[in-house]
Amino acid sequence: MTTRHRTTGGLSETGGHPAAWQGPEIDLTPQRSRVGEKIIRAGLMGSALLSVVVTAGIVLSLLTPLISFFSNVGVGEFLFGTEWTAAFGDKFTWDDKSWGVLPLVVATFMVTAIALVVAVPLGLGAAIYLSEYASERARKVLKPVLELLAGIPTVVYGFLALTIITPILGAFFEFNSIYTALSPGIVMGFMIVPTIASLSEDAMSAVPLALRQGSYALGANRMKTTLRVVFPAALSGIVAAIVLGISRAVGETMIVTIAAGSKAHLTFDPREGAQTMTGFIAQIASGDAPQGSPVYYSLFAVGALLFVITLVINMISIRLVRKYRQAY
Amino acid sequence: MKEQTPVTRAEHTSVTPTDDKPTDEPAAAHVRLDAPSSTLRPVDGAPDGVIELRDLEVFYGDFRAVKDVTMGFGSKEITALIGPSGCGKSTVLRCLNRMNDLVPGARVQGRVAYHGVDIYEPEVDVIEVRRRIGMVFQKPNPFPKSIFDNVAYGPRVTGMKTDNMDEVVERALRGAALWDEVKDKLKQNAFGLSGGQQQRLCIARAIATSPEVILMDEPCSALDPIATAKIEDLMVELAATYTIIIVTHNMQQAARVSQRTGFFTAEADDMGHRTGRLVEFATTEHIFGNPTDSRTEAYITGRFG
Ligand SMILES: Nc1ncnc2c1ncn2[C@@H]1O[C@H](COP(=O)(O)OP(=O)(O)OP(=O)(O)O)[C@@H](O)[C@H]1O
Ligand SMILES: [Mg+2]
Repeated sequence: MTTRHRTTGGLSETGGHPAAWQGPEIDLTPQRSRVGEKIIRAGLMGSALLSVVVTAGIVLSLLTPLISFFSNVGVGEFLFGTEWTAAFGDKFTWDDKSWGVLPLVVATFMVTAIALVVAVPLGLGAAIYLSEYASERARKVLKPVLELLAGIPTVVYGFLALTIITPILGAFFEFNSIYTALSPGIVMGFMIVPTIASLSEDAMSAVPLALRQGSYALGANRMKTTLRVVFPAALSGIVAAIVLGISRAVGETMIVTIAAGSKAHLTFDPREGAQTMTGFIAQIASGDAPQGSPVYYSLFAVGALLFVITLVINMISIRLVRKYRQAY
Repeated sequence: MKEQTPVTRAEHTSVTPTDDKPTDEPAAAHVRLDAPSSTLRPVDGAPDGVIELRDLEVFYGDFRAVKDVTMGFGSKEITALIGPSGCGKSTVLRCLNRMNDLVPGARVQGRVAYHGVDIYEPEVDVIEVRRRIGMVFQKPNPFPKSIFDNVAYGPRVTGMKTDNMDEVVERALRGAALWDEVKDKLKQNAFGLSGGQQQRLCIARAIATSPEVILMDEPCSALDPIATAKIEDLMVELAATYTIIIVTHNMQQAARVSQRTGFFTAEADDMGHRTGRLVEFATTEHIFGNPTDSRTEAYITGRFG
């Protein structure tokens, strides 16, 4: 063991233990007030709290009209009834209408499912291409273009569905009106492709290069490397991307309002028109729904259900993301 | 197609700059392929050249990273590549199984012959090359899969015909001295292993495809001394079956495990371009005992780099 000697202060080692400090005294108490830090901290906490408060506010504002609605309509009737005639009959009577929300729910999920059938393969294909195959130059051009697609107003997509896609599909399918679930579903799929592609691409690009190299060094080609190493490693982000796509599809309003029609009826046939939950809300909220009328209250019931569904989807998403998360 | 002359190589190859830039070497000392020194003793099992490099030159875009590399790697030998950072050791190593293909802008000139076949010829299947010439990287890079699936990955993706994958995996894990530590948790994620275990898993993964050559780029630099010692022992064991080429910054490691050592360095030319080159290639004993080139001596004695 070497012993170091210093002329001023310093440690002198004796028997392996440093001797007591003999140099000048030092002061470790705060030298400056930390007001700035406290303000920043408070500000950040405020923003975190605000989002909680807003969520709580939404729940509360739904609550009163909800109570009015469910004092007239049974929860079971609402959730499991297969007929929805809220907009029919006398505006101020409850009894002449059917309040089964299932037709709206089924239509919502049918359109969402059609959208996913389009968006998941296209979105993941685009993501795989951008992340694994495209040259740096191609990626630099394509990714912003793709993200631009996400910025197109949904009303444009709605008209695209009604005026272009529906007639084209009409050449192949027998439609009995200009309103169908198929056409807005497909267009909605195109609408969420950028969401799924962009987020999945981020997740795949974040997979360390070392994993790809390890795979190539074992004789895997690009496709196998992508499908067996990169894709599973990015699964958490890809799942999150798809779930976000689902949330957007479930909540999408304009496209279905324009192209799916306003006929609420229980059907599993995508060739028929079918009103979704959002479609119903848009129709009633933009039409004449006198405050205090049954159909006015039903808006809140459908809105609350939509809220719960989105919440559940997001909770499932968080679960899945945790389950598949990899720490590299 | 380039001429097929085999690389002539003697026990000692000293490659000194062939251009006319001033060096501290005598001007006449161009490429010498004969052993100039009587202090050299032949090594048992002199290399029969599983891989031979001739005038290898590698560019990254316009930048010439290495040039004038002519050397051969002996069968079932460990060859160490040493030299200061940035002299192109990894670059040369990556040429040997065409991992440079993955680097945009990388270009390889000269000849890289594996059993006499130039692996950069267009008809060569890169997948076949990599299956026979495996690679272990500096940082352990197991896949986010189970231990079993990591080892089975190579045989699966290369479509190796195996009757029993369990056997293949066990043999590879035993070969990498990892079997006893993991045999009860083959289904667990490989990320749960320690760094040293992960690196041995990567070695197991590499040997599962039954390669002939294993390239290792600083395989111990992320490991502690105990794990390093284990990998070194393993390398010596593996050399009974495989040809191993290792890049290392650890001089003792090169001296301990290798039979042959190539010393690289990069010196700036008049234009200020730094191009790596092979300075001296000889038996490890010679390089560490009595190097011919003054730059080698300066490096191994720690006066350089
Ligand atoms: N992908 C790349 N693109 C451009 N230049 C590169 C690339 N890889 C390496 N180089 C350059 O080539 C030269 C040799 O690099 P290389 O990584 O082979 O050196 P090395 O000897 O392995 O160094 P180290 O000991 O630090 O790992 C360096 O100048 C480096 O900057
Ligand atoms: Mg290197």
